[in-house]
Amino acid sequence: MSRAALEGVMVISFGQGAVVPDAGKILGELGANVIKIESSEHLDFVRTLGPKNEVAGFNETNRNKRSFGVDLRTDKGKDLVRRLIKMSDVVAENFRGGVAKNLGFDYESVRKFKPDIVYISSQGFGSGGPHSDYPCYGPMLSSASGMLSIWKQPDDPYPAGSNSPLPDHMASKHAAIVILAALDYKRRTGKGQFIDMAQTEVAAALMGEKYLEYTMNKQVPQPMGNRCPYAAPHGCYPCQGFDNWVAISVFTDEEWRSFGKAIGNPAWTQDTKLADIPGRLRHVDELDKRMAEWTATREAKEVMELLQSAGVAAGVVQRAPDTMNDPQIAFDKALIELDHPTVGKRLYPNIPFHMSETPPAPSSLAPFLGQHTDEICRELLGISDEEIKGLKEGKILESP
Amino acid sequence: MAPKKREGALTGYRVLDLTDSKGAYCTKLLADMGADVIKIEPPCGDLGRKMPPFLNGEPHPEKSFYFLYRNANKRGITLNLESDEGKDILKKLAKSADVLVENFGPGYMDSLGLGYDVLRGINPKLIMAGITEFGTDGPYRDYKGSNIVDFALSGVMITSGYSGKVPTLLPGTPAYDAASVAADIQILAALFCRDTIGKGQKIDVSVHEAARHGLYPWSVTIYSYSLTPGGPLPMPEGRLGAQIFPVYPCKDGFVRVVAITPRNWQALVRVLGSPEVLLMPEWENFIYRVGNADDLYAIMVEFTTKFTQIELWEAGFREGVPIAPIYDIPTFVNSADATARKFFIEVDHPVAGKGQYPGPPYKWTETPASVRRAAPCLGEHNEEIYCGELGLTTDDLIALRYDGVL
Repeated sequence: MSRAALEGVMVISFGQGAVVPDAGKILGELGANVIKIESSEHLDFVRTLGPKNEVAGFNETNRNKRSFGVDLRTDKGKDLVRRLIKMSDVVAENFRGGVAKNLGFDYESVRKFKPDIVYISSQGFGSGGPHSDYPCYGPMLSSASGMLSIWKQPDDPYPAGSNSPLPDHMASKHAAIVILAALDYKRRTGKGQFIDMAQTEVAAALMGEKYLEYTMNKQVPQPMGNRCPYAAPHGCYPCQGFDNWVAISVFTDEEWRSFGKAIGNPAWTQDTKLADIPGRLRHVDELDKRMAEWTATREAKEVMELLQSAGVAAGVVQRAPDTMNDPQIAFDKALIELDHPTVGKRLYPNIPFHMSETPPAPSSLAPFLGQHTDEICRELLGISDEEIKGLKEGKILESP
Repeated sequence: MAPKKREGALTGYRVLDLTDSKGAYCTKLLADMGADVIKIEPPCGDLGRKMPPFLNGEPHPEKSFYFLYRNANKRGITLNLESDEGKDILKKLAKSADVLVENFGPGYMDSLGLGYDVLRGINPKLIMAGITEFGTDGPYRDYKGSNIVDFALSGVMITSGYSGKVPTLLPGTPAYDAASVAADIQILAALFCRDTIGKGQKIDVSVHEAARHGLYPWSVTIYSYSLTPGGPLPMPEGRLGAQIFPVYPCKDGFVRVVAITPRNWQALVRVLGSPEVLLMPEWENFIYRVGNADDLYAIMVEFTTKFTQIELWEAGFREGVPIAPIYDIPTFVNSADATARKFFIEVDHPVAGKGQYPGPPYKWTETPASVRRAAPCLGEHNEEIYCGELGLTTDDLIALRYDGVL
C-alpha cells in the first residue's frame, strides 16, 4: 500500500456551504485527517437543504472527513476544540465575517496557543473592506465581481448566470492550493501563517484579462455569449429532443473543410465567403443559423462523434445522465458508487487526481453530525467513555 | 540598496512551464506564490500571445491581455523542443527543476524522447504534470477539446444562461482553469511529500474529468439522489439561475437575491417595505417561488425599483437576506472592497506599459502572494538563463537562434 501525499496532516474545518468543505474534501482525498467541527446549534446550512442526512450536495462536499459534534458556545467545548487545534496543522473557516472572532477561534486567538498554525479564512468579500462581515453565496460572487455582467448572451434582458453556485467550487480549489503551499512552507521553515481569501476576487482572478480591458483600454467589457472573436462557428446548437444541445468550435480553415466533408459538403459549407476565418466571422449570424438547421435534426451525441472523428472539436452539452453514459468518464472511473446508510447506493464524482507515487485512496462517505465524536474523544483527546457520556448529557458534545 | 522583496511560500522552487493557454493558469498560481516559473515557448511564441483582447485593440505578441495576465511573474525563454539541441537543453534545465508542466497532448513528450521515464532518470526528484483534453488513454483520447466544448461536457453549461434560451459560456476559460487548479493541487501535494517518499512523481490531469470536479461536482450526485427504483425520472436539468437566484432591476442597475429559507424571504419582504401583495403565505415556500418565478418577478419589480443597489445590499444584510449588486467590471475595479484590499496591482511591462492587474485573491501574513514582475517578452530571459545558468556564450545563442533552436 503506497503512502498518501498528506499522511500525518491534520486539518480542523469550521467550514460550511461549499468553499471550505470542498477544500477539506480535497485535502482528505490526499490523505489528510480532516475534522469538521459542527453542532445542531451551529449547523452547516447545506445540511438543512433537504431531509436529514440525505442532502446530495452536503454528502458530496463533505466526503473524506470526520464530524466532531461540539457546542462552541460552551467553555468546555471550546477547550476540547483548542486541544484538537494544538495537534493540527491547519485551521480553515468560512463563517460569516466576525463569527470566528466572537467564538475565540480567529487567527489572533489561535496563534496564541498554536503559533505555527496554517490558518485560512475565506469570506465572500474578504477582510478589510466595508462588506467583510456580509454573508455571501456563490451566485453573489459572480454578481459583485463583475463576472455576471458579461456572463450572458448580448440579447438577454439581464444575466441569469446559473442555478449551480459558480464559482464557489473554484474558490474551494484555490483554498486547497494556498493551504498546500502554506503547509509546504511550514514543513520547510516551521512557520505558520494567516491567509485571507476573498471569493469575489477568485471570480475576478479567473478572468483577469477582462479587467485589463477596463484598466488599460478604458473599455467596459461586453458579453460575447458563446461567440469567439477569432473562431467561427463557435457556439451551442440545438439538437433533437427537448433542450438538447451540442457545442462546436472550428478554429482553422482546415477544420472548416473537415467539418464540411464530415457532414457531406452541403452547398452552404462550400460558399467561398465562408472559406476563411475573417469571412466566417463576418457572416457569423448566417453561419450560426445554418449550423443550427443542420444540428436540429440530429442527436447531440451523434454530432459529437461524427465531428470528432473528422478532427473537429464538438461536445454534448451534458446533463447528469449524459455524464453517466460517457464512455471516457467510464474509462477513467470518474464516477464512484458509495453505499450510504440512509440514502443507499448513489454516484459521486471520483477523485480526478492521478499521481504515480501517491495515488489517493478511495473516497469515504460524508459523516452524520457528530458521527466521529466518540472516536475522536478516545483517539485524540484521551477522554474516557464515562466522561464522553457526561459531556453529551451536558449538551457539550453530540453524536447521532 | 532596495529593500529585499518578501519571499513567497514557493520561493526556491523552479517550475519549467511548457504550457500554452490551457495550462497558463496552473503555472501562474505557482508563480504568484513565488515559484521561479520559466515559461518555455517555441521560437514563434506561445499561441496565447495571439489571444484577444489586446492593448488598444492592436494584435501584437506583447499586447495580448490574456497572455499578459496569465504569464505575469514568469520568466520567458524560447526553445525548439523538436530539435536535437533543444532536447539537450531541456534535459539540462530539467536537472535543476522541481516541477515541469506541459499540455501537449497524450504521448507527445514521450515521442520527443522527453517523457517522464527519461526526465526522472536525469532528476529523480522531478514532479512532472501533464494536462490533456481527454486523458492519456481511453475512447476519447484523440478527441479535440476547446474552451466551449470542454465547458459543454463539464455538465455545467446546461445550467448556464437564460431560461428557454441557448446554454451560455462562462466568461474566461473555465474548463482549462479547472484542470489547472487540479494540476496545482497535485503538484503541491507531490512537493509536500517529495522528501518523505524520496522522489518526484508523474501527475496526469484530464480537462474532461477535472472540469466537472472543479466547476460543479454536484450534478451527477444530485441526479443520482433523485432516482427512486421504479419511480419517474427526474425533470431534465435546465437553466434556472433566474428562478432560483432571482435577478431584479433597481434604480441604478440589477441586484441578485439568494433567499432560500422562509426567514430569508421574510427578511426580503421587510427590505421592500412589507408590501401587502408579498405577504401571501405561499411566497414563503422556496419551491413555490421557483415555480411561479415569472409572476413573482412581475410583482417584485414595482418594489425593487424604488431602491438603489447599495440600499438593497445593505438592507439585506441588516434584515438577514443575502442580496448582491450586479456590478459591471469598472464598478468592481473601483469598489470600496477591491480598493481597501488593494486587489489591483500596478505592473509595468516594457512594451504594454503600466497597467492595473488583478492580484492574487488572497493575502498572506508571512509570505505574500503578489505580482512581482510583468509577463516576459518573447525570449526575454534567453541570455539570463542560457548564458547565466547553463554556461552558453552569446555566440552560442546567435548560432542556436540561427539554427532555429531558440
